[in-house]
Amino acid sequence: MTAALKLAEALRSGERRALAKAITLVESTRSEERDLAEELLAAIGAPSVRSFRVGVTGVPGAGKSTLIDALGCHALAAGSRVAVLAVDPSSRQSGGSVLGDKTRMTRLSAEPGAFIRPSPTLGVLGGTARRTPEVILLCEAAGYDLVFVETVGVGQSEEHVANMVDCVLLVQLSGAGDEVSSMKRGVLEAADMIAFNKADADRAPAANAEAASLRASLSICRGARVPPVLVLSALTDAGVEQLLAALNDYGAVARQDGSFLLRRIAQRRAWFDSALEEGLRELFTRRPDFALARAAAADSVAIGASSASSAARRLLTELLPTVRG
Amino acid sequence: MPGTPKPSTREAFLALARAELDGRDPDTLLTQTPEGIALRALYTAEDLHRIEHLAASSGQYPFRRGPRATMYTSRPWTIRQYAGFSTAEESNAFYKRGLAAGQRGLSVAFDLATHRGYDSDHPRVSGDVGKAGVAIDSVEDMKRLFDGIPLGSTSVSMTMNGAVLPILASYIVAAEEQGVPLAKLSGTIQNDILKELMVRNTYIYPPAPSMRIVADIIEYATHHMPRYNSISISGYHMQEAGATLDLELGFTLADGLEYIRAALSRGLGIDQFAPRLSFFFATGMNFFMEIAKLRAARALWAELVQECFAPTDSRSLELRTHCQTSGVSLTAQDPLNNIVRTTIEALSAVLGGTQSLHTNAYDEALALPSERSARIARNTQLILQHEAGLTQVVDPWGGSYFMEALTQELSDRARAVIAEVEAAGGMARAIEQGLPKRRIEEAAARRQARVDRGLDVIVGVNAFQAPEEPALELRVVDGHAVLDAQRERLRELKEKRDGIAVEATLSALRERARSGLGNLLSAAVAAVRVRATVGEISAALADIFGRYEGQVHTVQGVYGSYYQGHAEWAALRARVVLLREKLGRNPRILMAKLGQDGHDRGAKVVASALADLGFDVDLGPLFQTPAEVARQAVDNDVHLVGISTQAGAHTMLVPELIQELAKLGAADVRVVCGGIIPSADEPALFAAGVSLVFGPASKLPEVAAKLLALLEHSSEAT
Repeated sequence: MTAALKLAEALRSGERRALAKAITLVESTRSEERDLAEELLAAIGAPSVRSFRVGVTGVPGAGKSTLIDALGCHALAAGSRVAVLAVDPSSRQSGGSVLGDKTRMTRLSAEPGAFIRPSPTLGVLGGTARRTPEVILLCEAAGYDLVFVETVGVGQSEEHVANMVDCVLLVQLSGAGDEVSSMKRGVLEAADMIAFNKADADRAPAANAEAASLRASLSICRGARVPPVLVLSALTDAGVEQLLAALNDYGAVARQDGSFLLRRIAQRRAWFDSALEEGLRELFTRRPDFALARAAAADSVAIGASSASSAARRLLTELLPTVRG
Repeated sequence: MPGTPKPSTREAFLALARAELDGRDPDTLLTQTPEGIALRALYTAEDLHRIEHLAASSGQYPFRRGPRATMYTSRPWTIRQYAGFSTAEESNAFYKRGLAAGQRGLSVAFDLATHRGYDSDHPRVSGDVGKAGVAIDSVEDMKRLFDGIPLGSTSVSMTMNGAVLPILASYIVAAEEQGVPLAKLSGTIQNDILKELMVRNTYIYPPAPSMRIVADIIEYATHHMPRYNSISISGYHMQEAGATLDLELGFTLADGLEYIRAALSRGLGIDQFAPRLSFFFATGMNFFMEIAKLRAARALWAELVQECFAPTDSRSLELRTHCQTSGVSLTAQDPLNNIVRTTIEALSAVLGGTQSLHTNAYDEALALPSERSARIARNTQLILQHEAGLTQVVDPWGGSYFMEALTQELSDRARAVIAEVEAAGGMARAIEQGLPKRRIEEAAARRQARVDRGLDVIVGVNAFQAPEEPALELRVVDGHAVLDAQRERLRELKEKRDGIAVEATLSALRERARSGLGNLLSAAVAAVRVRATVGEISAALADIFGRYEGQVHTVQGVYGSYYQGHAEWAALRARVVLLREKLGRNPRILMAKLGQDGHDRGAKVVASALADLGFDVDLGPLFQTPAEVARQAVDNDVHLVGISTQAGAHTMLVPELIQELAKLGAADVRVVCGGIIPSADEPALFAAGVSLVFGPASKLPEVAAKLLALLEHSSEAT
């Protein structure tokens, strides 16, 4: 049996270390390991349709991790197995990162039925790690049926994460009034559900008012499919169970009306597209002959000898047949 | 009379200085302090112009020159040495020797299990029992601690915040059973939970119920213990965590304002309790600034309390403080130098007008103080008090151009810090938003970088190193023996007591916690009387309040910014990049704390510097067991686990961690340790499988180089 098959088998039998090692493998930047990673991904089989993937996004300090900690504990109690893929930004300067999610999910990280894996963004825009979609598949193959993808809240991440999950939960900080009204349109459009967090005792009335006004403005800009807006406190656990129920309802309705499957189909197409684009980009940096031809073509465009689109098309038709050669 | 005005002193100085410096600008003599204050070479009378109340006497508003008029001339400061060793008997013997040797008050150091509200037989604390202080599980231990020490006439300070209810209740009941009425008890309970949530981390409950406990204690003491300080509002641990002195001062006074508001919310009048608030500051090596800090603290506190609460009793405005010389300024290298450091720090506390003082022992960067080092620490104060003539005049710095100007400048800066906290909605809210933690961590990273780069000189560490390190006799704590003894006592206690009465009092305590009605301290006293233990009382409250899990954050970029364009750093960066190519990802390390030791400055500074070099650093939660850390290491698939240890638990817990890793099939994960690790512990750690051990004050680039070498070696081996 090959190493990849062994790893796939260990992973499917629920060995934590196998899942951890498998994630490292698919996240590896070494091209030699890519073949192994692909063999592994092929070996774990078809993606599960029973799983539910929830993207959790929101500005730093909104309490995303604390909320996942609380949500995850309720889900475990209800019989789910929970994986959390937390993405921490890498420093653009050093490429390093501090991954602190376990300190924010202390209850969940002590649960044997939960698996939390923080990953650095490694320079990928949009606030998710490069291989998150593949890591989701690994977690599901290891038997985790509820997968949270927590992203750093920086503008684009909401749209990015929407392309890999079944439901995007936007976490808002209660009492941040102004921020809500100036919330970016893209953020709201990507959200399938919105939770006002940190509505602890004395802040609850304000949070309820904010939620009401957001509901009103959403019904204008989103029409029929208004995302549910909830008010809760992850710290005191108030409203968390209701949020889990709302998420489950969301999943059930989406499965019934077919939108669940349609969304996953569209996502798979999008993953394919981005994998292809990534492959092309890599080809033009890794292969010296490609890099040279590309530079020459770019030069001819720069001096006005050929147009950008025709030079690109010529380059591709000339070079692509030689890829395997 | 018209005519050319006489040049000012400052102008005269500038002219003279220019001549001495061969025309160079005298402004090159400016010193930038870490607080951001630019010190000029000479201060003159002009610097006094804008200072208000300059002429006020000691004992007079705003008390810059001292809370009492006569200060040390009528009564010297109290020599109060903080100590606690393993068992109540050992500590009791130590206290008695100290009192006989001229010490005036006691100060109890508890072990970390007690701080966090666990009895010694709790499985989470096996590595911590009796290590960093005395293990107290019940009132019986407390009675042994004070056996033969009359509590009616000995003032006792207790550093307790997390398990403050059962510990204060045990002290009260121990006094009762000595026949001492509550009204005669004098001393201080630290009871300062805000700074625990901010930096020290020995909290138990979430912020809101924790603040209720603080207010309950202030309320109880106000009604029953008129001579007792119900809180010691502490900046000490902020400076230890890396805060500059403006931050230490500002955050501490902002904490004080928050506590006043909490007590007022109980319907107490400001003058009923404010005179019993006390403070606790660190004095580090920044000599002038420390003196200025204590003077500024008094004046600023008086002004703030006057402005915000307008008391009628002037004692409500008086800031009285305890000081302790700085622990982080002590070095493991050439440790006898620490005697000199401690002397200078003690001198600044005395010149600043402290009411009581603890002087550290020279070996405390290596272990708990030995008998000999503890004696020298105490003697340092006795010499200052009896030989140096320091008690002969009040506030000798009063009117000094420089000191008065510095006092004012530091006060202005602290006021800005307080304004920032108040704008965030007060300290409880500011802590929730992570504001003070972030500011302190940035300061800590800057300080570490300055030391590592040699910009701040530390004799014997980054300059003037000793040719060979002297051998010291260190105190060794036998954790297993203490653990066995405490477990046995708990068993006995539980056998003899009336279990039904215990359960009834614990239920009553829970009910008060649940309803929010009734004082928690009086309920705890009732439970202690029938022999409920520290752990049981803490657990009963946790049933209602929950145990709080603080979040660990760290700053990025601050440390690395000090090494921009530095060759050694650039070489390390290059090695990280090479390693990244080989490993297919960044080198990844889990920085973890084992046991109940909440000191996380070291772990965070290391984390932040390694991330600035290009490592991926997983920060583990505080208070972990070896099995929990092993699981995190496996789940995150790290190359290394770094254990930061300050309280002696490593001897038991690190070998356990290595076994747990092996059980999970992760024996290839390398374990390294850093912190306060006596060299005597090293052989056992290496034998257990630890790859590297770093002492305190290891330079981070050197630490990183060794970690990289370890990884480079193992990546070639595979």
